Amino acid sequence: MRKSSSLFSNISGVIAIILMGFPVYWMITTSFKPKEDILSINPTLIPRSFSLSNYTQAVTKEGFMQALLNSLIVVVFTVVISIFVALFASIAVARMKFRGKQIYIASILIVQMLPLSALLIPLYLLLSKLQLTDKLGGVVLTYIAFVLPFVIWTLRGFLINIPVELEEAGLVDGCTRPQVYRKILFPLMAPGLVATSVFAFIQAWNEFLLAYILLSSQDKATMPIWLAGFTNRFGTDWGPLMAASTLTALPVVIFFSLIQNKIATGVTAGAVKG
Amino acid sequence: MKKISLALRTRRKKNPWPYLLVSPSLFALGIILCYPIYKLIRLSFEKYGLSEIIAGKGTFVGLQNFADTFTDPEFWKILERTIFFTGGMVLVSVVVGAWLAHLMLNMSPILRNILNGVLILVWAMPQLVSISVWRWMFSFNFSIVTAVINSLGFEMDNHNYFVNTFSGFLIIGGCVAWGALPFITISIYAALTQVPKELLEAAEIDGANSRQVFRTIIFPILLPVYIIIISLSVIWDFQVFSHIWIFLDSRPSSEYYTIAIYAFQKSFGLSEYGMGAAISLIMILTLITITGYYLRQMMKMGSE
Repeated sequence: MRKSSSLFSNISGVIAIILMGFPVYWMITTSFKPKEDILSINPTLIPRSFSLSNYTQAVTKEGFMQALLNSLIVVVFTVVISIFVALFASIAVARMKFRGKQIYIASILIVQMLPLSALLIPLYLLLSKLQLTDKLGGVVLTYIAFVLPFVIWTLRGFLINIPVELEEAGLVDGCTRPQVYRKILFPLMAPGLVATSVFAFIQAWNEFLLAYILLSSQDKATMPIWLAGFTNRFGTDWGPLMAASTLTALPVVIFFSLIQNKIATGVTAGAVKG
Repeated sequence: MKKISLALRTRRKKNPWPYLLVSPSLFALGIILCYPIYKLIRLSFEKYGLSEIIAGKGTFVGLQNFADTFTDPEFWKILERTIFFTGGMVLVSVVVGAWLAHLMLNMSPILRNILNGVLILVWAMPQLVSISVWRWMFSFNFSIVTAVINSLGFEMDNHNYFVNTFSGFLIIGGCVAWGALPFITISIYAALTQVPKELLEAAEIDGANSRQVFRTIIFPILLPVYIIIISLSVIWDFQVFSHIWIFLDSRPSSEYYTIAIYAFQKSFGLSEYGMGAAISLIMILTLITITGYYLRQMMKMGSE
């Protein structure tokens, strides 16, 4: 498949790298520029001087610690609960036959297609009836439901790649069903579990719209809501906002680069047949 | 051995395990997704405003909400705008993504790795972060884009890009497409590398040129991947909300309404939740019609 690299491809590649990378570059360099360099009619592509003042301003801005804490709480509960629930479901879907399995799979795929913004109204009314609006618990509940279909589907993908024969061999050698799961299946699934938990982590960390609708008081704000709060009637403080954006993106970038190739193949797994 | 494997694979009668295992997920999906869908459908046939919220009960009005929506000329304008906006973003992002993926095959390994790294970096950007950066690049004061345009000899100090809805949508769409490109490019590239080499070699020996190879081998094999990617892009781009909302300081003027913003304004802005529900339902039905194919494709994969 691979021919020797062509000049045209390489030139296009360089252009693509510059165009795609520029916003990220501009975010990071802006975040290290002192205020007078940011508010200049002739911005320089390469920063002239280096300053951490935007970061101190962002971190000391009202609500930073609270938002960080809220986001962590939401993320941890969403990940732990959804992975547990999805693990059970994916075992049933990948390993067992049962009546209604087709319908179950179909409904999982359908709900994945549902546009979130179309469900805002009934979700808001439902959670306000349950008195869960403006509570982190309400947000966690909705996040779990929204990541579940994808997590189940991806775990199922990892599971069907583990040969059933291994479990059968375990049973032959006298393991009980739970022992087979604990000693054979779960260790083999570990990479898949890590990848999907990181996926759930990223979703919950990044989500804005539901949190925006469901959480109204300032001490309940998550990181994206806190970021949106940099713009007020008097305009936007760009330097600290870029510093805060860099800080918000950092954990996601780290985790994401770890799992990226696993998820990319998970979404389209089985679509290509040799 | 045979007996046990039989037991593992086909014990389908009176086995409570599968039902026990899926029940927690059914419970969560039921509360947070199925009930709201039911509620959305019911709301769309009801008048549900502030007084109904307090009473906790809507008044049945039949098809009134749908009739009002369909006779509202504003709605048709918004629907048309949403379809154009979605179509433009999907077209640009899928075409550019596919093109980049094909180019990546012929790039020098160093460039390919750098591009891959940049794509992953962009892919990982949280939505609010990428919106913030793009707003800064196109801001009213001191924006880098204005500075670049000025340096090319055009005079446009303090240009507000959002006064003109065309340039406004162009920037918002650019931000959405920028965020979507990594997923599209990397997925197509991953699929391309899975095309069996033997087929390509055989075609080469038989004297096929690169266009014929693409048309008769690569395209048919990649078709399912393209279908999934296009369908997902349609679903994501059709419901873009946060981008428009944040770019326009949480109060977009009516020329910036797309169907998602319109439904939001009707319900949370004007407290006409019944109307908002009807519009949301129309949105879901439109999407299901457009992407029905995706679902069938996924079902085929699931039943294997």
